[in-house]
Amino acid sequence: MPSTPVMDGLIRRTVQRHLPWSVHVDLTYRCNERCIHCYLDHEDHGEMKTAEIKNVMKQLAESGTLFLTLSGGEIFLRADLFELLEFARSLHFDINLKTNALLIDAERARKLRELSVRKIQISIYSAEPEVHDAITKVRGSLERTLTAIRFLQAEGLNVKIACPLMKQNLMAYRNVQALAAELGVPYVLDMTITPKMDGDMGLLQLRSSTKELLPILQDITLNPRACSTDSSEAVAFPTGSATSSGIESQAYDDIPCSAGHNSCYISPYGDVFPCVQMPVATGNLRKQSFEEIWFRSAEMNRVRAVRESQLPVCSQCSIRKYCERCPGLAQMEGGDLLGAYERACELAEMNARIAGVLNPLSAMHAQKLSTKVCSIPLPNAATEARIGSN
Amino acid sequence: MNGQITRNPKLAWREVDGEMVIISPEDSHVHELNETASLVWKHAEGKTLDELVEKISAEYEVARETARADLEELLAALGEKQLMFVSPEAKG
Repeated sequence: MPSTPVMDGLIRRTVQRHLPWSVHVDLTYRCNERCIHCYLDHEDHGEMKTAEIKNVMKQLAESGTLFLTLSGGEIFLRADLFELLEFARSLHFDINLKTNALLIDAERARKLRELSVRKIQISIYSAEPEVHDAITKVRGSLERTLTAIRFLQAEGLNVKIACPLMKQNLMAYRNVQALAAELGVPYVLDMTITPKMDGDMGLLQLRSSTKELLPILQDITLNPRACSTDSSEAVAFPTGSATSSGIESQAYDDIPCSAGHNSCYISPYGDVFPCVQMPVATGNLRKQSFEEIWFRSAEMNRVRAVRESQLPVCSQCSIRKYCERCPGLAQMEGGDLLGAYERACELAEMNARIAGVLNPLSAMHAQKLSTKVCSIPLPNAATEARIGSN
Repeated sequence: MNGQITRNPKLAWREVDGEMVIISPEDSHVHELNETASLVWKHAEGKTLDELVEKISAEYEVARETARADLEELLAALGEKQLMFVSPEAKG
């Protein structure tokens, strides 16, 4: 949902009041695709039952949640999905779904329309079946997904394509752009490949290097900075995160993002986190109420207390406005919620260079450089004296 | 205009600081109601205009005629934006 004055005002109010305005619930981690970059463990380790999820939804509605994103795993693998959607509708949530759409047929599309689902985000990795299917590891998956999109569109539902980019499909973004245009749907390119939830960093091998990303960052159809001659211009890169709430705004001011302020994430096992990309466990809904976790968890309050202006390294960074630092990734990749991390710094430098900044250097890299310079052994003073005396 | 008043069932809505925020799923339009309109949103569902006039005039000590005129105007505005509907009066 784009930033508008009404939305910005509401975001400010919900942040001030710590209203859990937008909540992402993964109903299952089970999936009928095996995407090579997926960070989830697809085994079912005890998902919340129908009644438990309804109870969570009830608590969320009472706490003021408006935007409810249901995702997975693949949500259509839950036999109770439509029962849960009907319940969510009765509580007047704004419902958004994330799915691979393989299990959506004409009848299910009709039901989704009847339930007034507002948006359905669907992952497509390429318009070429061999590229898409090699990533999902399901032959024929692109064709099935596209058929489902047409069923959804026939019902007048809003579809959005999410295209996570990795080495295997990097340049496919162009044919995904063309496909989105042909279908008449918006799209988001997501360059974020995250470590597995268990901390395994192996998936990061799939990530394109910042050098490989250069053609995308320079593509003027995506990046207004690429055609701007004014280096002081700070514009948002029109790609994003396929996992975020999708509520974009400049209204977050001095806080890093919405996580823990007016949004959070709930796993299929009832664990509550500030964000799907922030592995900071704050409580479990099988043991505590949502309000108890949201308002009183020490971890949630620790995340909430973070201010951009107080970040030890990043607040000193001269190219901060070109950076899309994610606190969750800072935790996962750098081990510090408050810290800088390599990927964000590299991308910020690349973006700043594209915008015309000469020799951009992030604060973290500047610090590393100065540490290196200082660690070069200086000539011993006594030796110097001896040389001079000869 | 004395049929039953109903909210558009497709809408998503929540109260923020006493004011209703409503989202239309078709066009993602965000509507923010002021305090008075929010009050009507909360209390009007399933009532007729007469019943609503009765409730509002009693609760807020407003003359019935004033309440009726204001409510008619407000319901027409909400109807125009497809947020609330007044069903046709039953005949006979």
